Amino acid sequence: MPEYEEMRIYQDDTRTMRQVENLLAQEGIQKDKNLEYTMGIFIRDELIATGSFFRNTLRCLAVDGRCRGEGLLNKVVTHLMEVQYQRGNLAVFLYTKCDTAKFFKELGFYEIARVEGLVVFMENRPDGFKQYLKNLAPSRIPEGKSAAVIVNANPFTLGHQYLIEQAARDNDRVHVFVVSEDISLVPFDVRQELVRQGTAHLKNVMLHTTGSYLISSATFPSYFLQDDDTVIRAQAQLDIEVFKGHIAKTLGITRRYVGEEPTSRVTGLYNKIMQQELKKNGIECIVMPRKQVGDVTVSASLVRQYIKNGELEKAKALVPETTYEFFLSAAGKKIIQRIQESQQVVHY
Amino acid sequence: MSKIIKAAQAGTVESCDVLIMIAPADPGAGIQVELISPTMQQYGTHITKLIKETILSCGVQDAVVHANEKGAMDYTIAARVKTAVDRAIG
Repeated sequence: MPEYEEMRIYQDDTRTMRQVENLLAQEGIQKDKNLEYTMGIFIRDELIATGSFFRNTLRCLAVDGRCRGEGLLNKVVTHLMEVQYQRGNLAVFLYTKCDTAKFFKELGFYEIARVEGLVVFMENRPDGFKQYLKNLAPSRIPEGKSAAVIVNANPFTLGHQYLIEQAARDNDRVHVFVVSEDISLVPFDVRQELVRQGTAHLKNVMLHTTGSYLISSATFPSYFLQDDDTVIRAQAQLDIEVFKGHIAKTLGITRRYVGEEPTSRVTGLYNKIMQQELKKNGIECIVMPRKQVGDVTVSASLVRQYIKNGELEKAKALVPETTYEFFLSAAGKKIIQRIQESQQVVHY
Repeated sequence: MSKIIKAAQAGTVESCDVLIMIAPADPGAGIQVELISPTMQQYGTHITKLIKETILSCGVQDAVVHANEKGAMDYTIAARVKTAVDRAIG
């Protein structure tokens, strides 16, 4: 029995990280740019297995082809799960290639969704996603047209409001999903409240949250943190699969509304893939031109940029009363400060 | 009498071990055990009973338990269950 050495690999240990990249490349896995924690198993300084995670998603797991069948993947996953537990994450997700999903099934992971030939998304609870869908189900209407809009609303602008109003006008029910992930400059509870206030006048709008299952650091981390196009594409496809294969089905959604995306690279890519993929499931993808105020195109990025530059009046013109009122409050002022202290406020 | 106040886990999915995940349940719900085991047919009933009894002996009446077992011996199962309960009582 060879002597295995199991240990953490630090991001700035460039020599060892290169071994990680090589092993991943050898096994056909692209290394995500943003990983919080990486570990490796070595035999006499040679890396034979590795695994990493970003927040509560395990990714970039690989075992050298020559060392299969020795329970190394189990060791890798056990190590990562132990660290996850220490960090207080009991709900853990993972990404893997389609042909290796069965190994993770044996390690206590359950499949949520897959993009055939590309990637499988799994979680460590048998009923996590099922419970999420179960909680959504009562909002389904038995007949009529149902549409979906997914918003980060960082913050909620006249643009978001216009998009939702159009959807509400043309459909019997609109399901608005607010991104739960709390990485954006405007915190989740504020974003959700501003969406609620800004759509209170629309009687056929139902609010939901995405949880870990849509536009989350589990399904789509490159939405929040820059990464390569190939990585963005794979993650977008998976995110869209979760939406069309499960959530849309549960709620009987036949239309999804999005605003035109002229500036953000990641959102532009996502929308392009979404239009292709939704068509396959008979879901209409309606791309609405962005709302204009005078000759300014409304966007949350622009609002954040104005706030950062101290041009609150310009920001006021692009948001509903309710959003502006919030920024005048004490809590709102704190967020303004946060935005002003931030380096990058425009969505890449 | 102790009460489970938060979700907790103990153990691993390595061979001869068991991963116990315990979570709060409504008072009066009792102890619900979901077991996954390669020896389900031969020892499923025995292991489920062992888990329930161990939790009861810790003074807990209501809990939701997921157990992923990989050929663990009784003393291993009992130890992991006790640790999980300890962590869940908090």
